[in-house]
Amino acid sequence: MPSLKVKLGLLELESPLLTASGTFGFGEEYAPLMAMEGLGALITKTITLEPRLGNPSPRMVETPAGMLNAIGLQNPGLENFIKIELPRLHSWTVPLIVSIAGETEEEYVTLARALEGQSGIAALELNLSCPNVKKGGILFGMDAALLESLVGMVRAAWSGPLIAKLTPNVTAIEELARAAARGGAQIISAINTLRGMVIDITARRPLLGNLAGGLSGPAIRPVAVKMVYDIYAATSMPVIGVGGIMNTDDALQFVLAGAAAVAVGTANFVEPRTIPRIAAGLREYLAENGLHSLQELVGAAHNSGQRTEDS
Amino acid sequence: MKQCSAQVRELEEVREGFYYLALEEPYLAATALPGQFLHLRVTTTFDPLLRRPFSVAGTSPQTGIVRLFFRRLGTGTKLLSCLRRGDPLDCLGPLGSPFMPAGKSPAVLLAGGTGIAPLLFLAEKLGGTGDEVYLFYGAATAASLLPVERFLPSGPRLFYVTADGSAGETGLLTDAFRRALEKGLVPGELFACGPRPFLAILAEENRRWGYPLQVSLEENMACGLGACQGCAVLLQKDGKRTYARVCREGPVFCDAEVVW
Repeated sequence: MPSLKVKLGLLELESPLLTASGTFGFGEEYAPLMAMEGLGALITKTITLEPRLGNPSPRMVETPAGMLNAIGLQNPGLENFIKIELPRLHSWTVPLIVSIAGETEEEYVTLARALEGQSGIAALELNLSCPNVKKGGILFGMDAALLESLVGMVRAAWSGPLIAKLTPNVTAIEELARAAARGGAQIISAINTLRGMVIDITARRPLLGNLAGGLSGPAIRPVAVKMVYDIYAATSMPVIGVGGIMNTDDALQFVLAGAAAVAVGTANFVEPRTIPRIAAGLREYLAENGLHSLQELVGAAHNSGQRTEDS
Repeated sequence: MKQCSAQVRELEEVREGFYYLALEEPYLAATALPGQFLHLRVTTTFDPLLRRPFSVAGTSPQTGIVRLFFRRLGTGTKLLSCLRRGDPLDCLGPLGSPFMPAGKSPAVLLAGGTGIAPLLFLAEKLGGTGDEVYLFYGAATAASLLPVERFLPSGPRLFYVTADGSAGETGLLTDAFRRALEKGLVPGELFACGPRPFLAILAEENRRWGYPLQVSLEENMACGLGACQGCAVLLQKDGKRTYARVCREGPVFCDAEVVW
C-alpha cells in the first residue's frame, strides 16, 4: 500500500493530514464522530498564558464559500490546559501539536518553557497572528525582525520541533518564512486566516462583535496555494499547507505547490469525516498513479519549467 | 449524537414561506429530546458552506420520523425547500442540551415566530391536559402562524397572539401572557423560544415574577459540536462573566444566567 508517512524535519508523522488550530478544539467534540484513521497529528486550539474570555458575539458569519470568524482566542489558559486538557488529549493516540500565542515575547517564552516540561507534546506551533502589545499592536507575523527575534527566543526555551504559522496579511510571505528560518523554526505552516469584514446593512455597522475577523474556507484556497508555492520556492523548510482544504483534490494542490503536509480546518465544521476521507483518497490517487509515497509529489508543480511572474 | 443520513418523507409549505419537513431516521427519532437540534448539510457543494441548525419539532419513535419546521429566508433554507420525498439529508444530531422540565404544573410555553418548533416538541412530550400545559403562540400576522393543531391533536390549551390582530389576541406575546397572569394564571414553570428581543423582555419581567424560566437561544453557528466556539452567548454565573456555547451548554439556558 502506498505510504502517507511524512517527515517534517524531526517531526515524523504516519499521515500528512493534520487538524488546523482552532477548528478541532481540544479534540473532545470530534472524538465520538471520527475514528483516528488518517489523522497524522492533532493541532490544538491556541492557548495563551492567562485564560481568555473571547470576543463578544456574533463571533462568526458565513460568507461566499467561506466563513469569517473572530473568536478572540477563547481558551482556559496555560495552567488549566496542562491540568485538564492535556491529560484528556493524550487519549488521542496521534502526536499532539500545541498551538501557542502571546501578547509579548515573554508570554510566548513562558508558554514554551512550561510545555517543554510536559511529556507527550510532539511539536509547538507559534500562532503569529497575535498583536504585540509592546509594539503598538502590530502582529508578530507581520514584521520580519519581530518574527525572527520571537522565534529565536522561543527556540531557546523549547527543544522540540518548532512550527511558525504565518499570517497571509503581509506583502511577501516568503520574507516572513525566511525570517522564521533564521530565528530557528524548522517547519512553516501557511496560511492563517485572511482579514475581512462583513457589514450588517440593516444595523449599518460591522456584523461581527469584534468588527473584523479572519476569513477561512474554500474562498481563500487559491491564495493559500500561491503562498505555499512561494514559500517552497524561497526556503528549504518543510511546509504545512492550510487554507480551505475540503477534499483530496484540494490537498493534492497544496502538496504539488510544495506542502509536505496539510491541515484541514473549516472543512471539519462541514464534514467531520473530511480527514479520513482525504486519507483514503490520497492512497487511491497514489495507487492509481503508481507512486509509493506522497512525498514524491511535494513541490512537483514547480517542475513545469515555467516560472511565474510575481503578481 | 451521530452523523446520519436521513430520508425526506414529507415536505410541505404549510404557510407561504413556512415549511414542514418530516425526516425518517430511527436513531434520531429515538434519541432527540425537546430543545435539541439537528445540524443539516443542505448541499453537497461548498456554497453555501456551513450546516444549518434546526430545532427538533417532534418525533415518532415507532415510525422513525423526526419533524422540523423552517422558514425560507436565505440560500440554505431555499435549498431545503427544494428537497423531494426520498432525498437523503446528511444530519448531525441530536445536538445541544434539552429543556429540563421540573414537572411543576401548569407548564406555560411561550413561542415567538418559528420559536414554536422546540416548544411543540416539548408540549408533545409533556403530554398532559389543557389544565397542565398552556401554549402561547405569537406571530406578526395570521399568515405566519403555523397550523399547530395539526401537529398537536390534543394537549395544551392554545392561545394565539398576532401583532395586527388578524388571529387570536392583538399585540405582543408578552402582553397577552401578562394579561393571562392578571386574570389568575399561576404558572408552575415557563419555557420560551423566539426572537431575542422578546426573550429579553420576558426575562426582564420575570425578574419580578420569579417563575422558573428556561429559554432557547440562537446564534450564528459553524460546527454545532462545540469545537469552534463560534456560537457564544454571554452568561453571568456566580458573579463571573463567561461565554457558553449555544450548541453545547445551550441552546436552552436559565433566564437569570443570560446577560441580556
